[in-house]
Amino acid sequence: MSERLTQLDVRRSLPWLVVGLLVFGALLYIVVLAEPSPDIGGNWRSTTFGSAIDDWQSFTRTLLNGLTFAALLFIVASGFSLIFGLMRVVNMAYGSFYLVGGYIAYEVQQRMTGAGFTIPGIEVSTWEWVFPAIVAAGLVGLLGLVVQQLFLSWNQGQELRQALITIAISVIIADQVIAHFNGGLASTVTWPGWTNRLVELPLLGVDYSLARLVMLFLGIAVGIALWVWLYRTRTGMVIRAGVDDLQMTSALGVNIKRTLAIAFVVGSALAAFGGVVGASQGAIAPGQDGQWLLNSLVVVIIGGMGSLLGAAVGSLLYGLTFSFSAVYLPTIGDNCCTQYSIVFTFILLALVLAFRPQGLFGKFS
Amino acid sequence: MTRDPKQITERTIGLVAVCVLLLAPALFSDYWVDVILTQMLIVGIAAASLIFLAAYGGMISLAQTALAGTAGFILGNLATVGGEGGESKGLALGWDPTLSLVIAIVGTVLIGLFFGAIAARSTGIYFLMITLTFSVIGFYFVGQVTVISGFSGIGGINRYTPGFIGDMVNDRYRLFYIALGVALFVYAVIRFVVRTPFGLSLQGVRDEPVRMSSLGYAVPLHRTLAFGLAAFFAALSGVLLVWWQGQVAPGDVGLPATIDLLVVAVIGGLARIEGAWVGALAFILIGNYIRDSWLTRLLDDLHIGGSFNTIIGLIFLLIVIVSPDGLVGLWDRLWGRIQGGGDSDATVAPAGAVPREV
Amino acid sequence: MSRISRHWKLLLPLGVLVVLASVVVSTSFASSNAKTVKVAIMTDCKGAFGFGYELDIGGAQAAFANYAKGKVKDPKKPSAGMTGIRVGTTPVEIVGYGCGDDTVPTAVKETRRLMEQLGADVMIGPLSGDEAVYVARYAKAHPNKTFIIGTAGSQDPTLQIAPKNLFRYHADGAQWNAGIGELAYKKLGWRNAAIMMDDYSFGWTSGAGIIADFCAVGGKITKRVFPPLNTTDYSSYVQQLGGPSKVDGTFWVVGGTGTSASLTAYEQAYGAIDPTKHIGNLFFAFLGADKVVAPKMVGSYVGGSGTGPGLKTAKAKTYEKVINRWYPGQPAADLFLYNYFNAAWALVQGLTVSKGATGTALQAAMPKTLNTGYQVSNGGKVKLDSRRQAIGDQYQLQLVKNADGSVGPQMVAYVPGVDQTFGGLFKPSSPPPGRTQPPCKKLKTPWQGKVRIVKNGIITNQIIK
Repeated sequence: MSERLTQLDVRRSLPWLVVGLLVFGALLYIVVLAEPSPDIGGNWRSTTFGSAIDDWQSFTRTLLNGLTFAALLFIVASGFSLIFGLMRVVNMAYGSFYLVGGYIAYEVQQRMTGAGFTIPGIEVSTWEWVFPAIVAAGLVGLLGLVVQQLFLSWNQGQELRQALITIAISVIIADQVIAHFNGGLASTVTWPGWTNRLVELPLLGVDYSLARLVMLFLGIAVGIALWVWLYRTRTGMVIRAGVDDLQMTSALGVNIKRTLAIAFVVGSALAAFGGVVGASQGAIAPGQDGQWLLNSLVVVIIGGMGSLLGAAVGSLLYGLTFSFSAVYLPTIGDNCCTQYSIVFTFILLALVLAFRPQGLFGKFS
Repeated sequence: MTRDPKQITERTIGLVAVCVLLLAPALFSDYWVDVILTQMLIVGIAAASLIFLAAYGGMISLAQTALAGTAGFILGNLATVGGEGGESKGLALGWDPTLSLVIAIVGTVLIGLFFGAIAARSTGIYFLMITLTFSVIGFYFVGQVTVISGFSGIGGINRYTPGFIGDMVNDRYRLFYIALGVALFVYAVIRFVVRTPFGLSLQGVRDEPVRMSSLGYAVPLHRTLAFGLAAFFAALSGVLLVWWQGQVAPGDVGLPATIDLLVVAVIGGLARIEGAWVGALAFILIGNYIRDSWLTRLLDDLHIGGSFNTIIGLIFLLIVIVSPDGLVGLWDRLWGRIQGGGDSDATVAPAGAVPREV
Repeated sequence: MSRISRHWKLLLPLGVLVVLASVVVSTSFASSNAKTVKVAIMTDCKGAFGFGYELDIGGAQAAFANYAKGKVKDPKKPSAGMTGIRVGTTPVEIVGYGCGDDTVPTAVKETRRLMEQLGADVMIGPLSGDEAVYVARYAKAHPNKTFIIGTAGSQDPTLQIAPKNLFRYHADGAQWNAGIGELAYKKLGWRNAAIMMDDYSFGWTSGAGIIADFCAVGGKITKRVFPPLNTTDYSSYVQQLGGPSKVDGTFWVVGGTGTSASLTAYEQAYGAIDPTKHIGNLFFAFLGADKVVAPKMVGSYVGGSGTGPGLKTAKAKTYEKVINRWYPGQPAADLFLYNYFNAAWALVQGLTVSKGATGTALQAAMPKTLNTGYQVSNGGKVKLDSRRQAIGDQYQLQLVKNADGSVGPQMVAYVPGVDQTFGGLFKPSSPPPGRTQPPCKKLKTPWQGKVRIVKNGIITNQIIK
């Protein structure tokens, strides 16, 4: 009897053992084993900056890069997780909402500042960033409501059909964006002027960009707001119940249709807000919709759908993995390997799926 | 054999279609045979692999384009020769075409089995997502590992065909008939496999995995083997595709190509294998003829803006809303009405229903 | 048997219908008047270069309007089409516009649709590099058709593949950057530099030109960083570049959303950007970047694209007037428009000499020189080399602030007679541009030491020292 139990334990804990080993190995490599790469050639131990021991500042910077990127991922993916978890809808038009949100903010900011082409050179006030963000989130939330009511509310439960409908919608939206927003050219939203500096972080010993720290702060703020909403309000409670068991929740006499609509609106608004932040941090252009749909999928796969904590952890893992692999993958000559960071992150994703398909915090339906 | 009128009608239509295809070079213009029909046959084989997994395995796989592309890339790397004239990139090993063909197909099946083993424990939407990641990995892998391909891809592949297949560059009808033969072969194999004990237990796994598992069937094994079989079909499609295109590039395995194949399968109908070729034909015709049509100009006149991509999106949306089982599902339902709600064709596939996911 | 005969009323018409439909459809596009020359314009309407659609069509059609009596249907929308194109007594018909999306599979379908379904004899296009590699291979397999590249910058089509029926009257992506390295070395005093380029064909090609030019004159590229195309977060890649303390300057070959994103990441990593320490390829100034990126980089040198915006020669002004006459409002100095214009003009000249014949007769008749708007050396004529690739002047630019506050590129350097091989560095047997190709080598390019300063649109006699 006791033999049987130990066998079971080993089986279950094997994936965790492997994961633990991999993480330990990666940490060992990054912190100790790596060496700065020579000018020519290099071996499996050469990385651009060497190990954390060699170059503490680069390590800290990479860590901060990963954390701040994770914040952006979290803003976007949390909405996706909400929609996915509650309504089991793989909203393939989610990336399109991100795209439209970014472009709306761009257009509003252009009109507000009236400066057009000289925006990056002048100070943009905080309100001139916040107002476009609000407008974008609001309008895209409305768009989400329309999409949900017209196309998704009547076929609740038919997952594949909904995925396909949203694919069609994303194709239409992508084409319309090119027609109506700046000809589909890459556009940016500008952060408020005061973020455009480096601040000293005394504890970590590096100077870091204030704009990226603001992004981190926004991510945390969104997380807190969502937590309060989901765990301290009645609507949130219904949503959490719905994530666990949708049929039961509706059988309990709750107006489930209204809740689903609200969740979809909030999710879409989050996508748009993420689009505004993404457009500020980088740029926005057709093609980003596919990219961010993928990013959201990756985070939700890793973290598990419908779980706020899962979205946070998934974002952290994805952001950190991407950031570190872009800097600490070996550099052997010019042809290898940091450009493979994207492939690397997807291979890790496949491993997570292999061992724990429902994600770290997800529940198997 | 039932004497069900629907079945008879379908079989007759099928027979007529095959006859028309056999006579196609005489009936249609060269362009139609070489581009529209050959492409329909090839894309249909890939879609059939997807529909096979969906209808009989309950798994919606987005990895079929990646697998087809894998076969194409293996073939391209092994069979072609580089050098002056520079048509071919990649490894350009210049091996014997027949051997390269065999390795491409066998290699893809092995890769399919490997991925299948990883993915077999997931179901429903998770399975969809994990197969999606395979596609994305594949895209970046062949694009960035430039020694294998690079972004402009490998060309000149149709110059290196095995002897028993012959010259495909100059004799375009040869490829058409080979594609037709392979398509019929794939169709026959699928119809055969689903009646074997393996096929029946696969459908049991599709419907009630827990019960099947408690009955002693190895559920992940069934799924893996089904995935491997689908990989075989996809490999056939991939090899034919690179012979038809003459080349292979990362764009063949990327996200848009993956979505396109899903669209083809859905337009045709995910519940029945015939939907693969119906969907392929519809998709190709729409893509080909809508572009310069009056519909696109209508968009401008109505000041809605956008190009024919909006039209294609709208058509697709319409089809998915009106008939979730695609065009073949529409056919099934029309028959249901004609027969006054009587039995539709009692094939083993669940007629008229999108496969339930767990 | 009786069951089947009962249903024959249904089955027979069905069968007939099927056959009829197929016959009708297949003959519906039987070829029309055999004497008409059929031209297809292949461009992108989706993907990264989707906005190039109207520009490309506008350029080609402006040439047809100006030199072949074509009548523009809508001066505001080139894709509305044109009629009445005639070269001598031969009518020319534009049978279709190709809609690519920068990827090869779409290029395959569109090329076949244009050349086989619509029966075009000549293709003007495509727009992008990877598509052109496919078209070059297709051209090799179809020697009776003629192909004039639209504006694709990849090197392979005319250097490695080089079929006899493929012509390119503009420079490739590497040639566009000739002279920029010399500017960096001599005027800015850069001795070692890092370069960031998209891990993608055009990134490698454009970067190859910069690297070749900078290293030829004695500079050293110490670090090459390759973020994948359209990376979401450039911060970690930018970290690898090493800041102003490690290198004299940084070259940027990042496009799409990456142009702005990577520069923002750089700013956030190393503080305010000093424009004299950064040089970009054409992505800094064109394709919308003039609004988004340029204002931060006023003063930076920018790689050109074969056009001379603001050039004050009579020829340039004439060219710009021509564009303005047929499609007012379209940017004449835009590379998409300019290159398609020249391609179509070359075609008209070829058809004139061949008296309307297509196929190999047309290929023999295609002009070997072309009097383009911005070409100055060689008597103002772009010359084709032995592989039918243009040898042409290049103009390097600098971002300046205009009187109205906008920021835009202005010519600062003139580089005469740039050929594709860079003085023998790129050979037909070389591998195509990639992460390690070309290596950093010192050599003498044909234009080294001949780069002249351009002031206010006028090419001075001052050589850059």
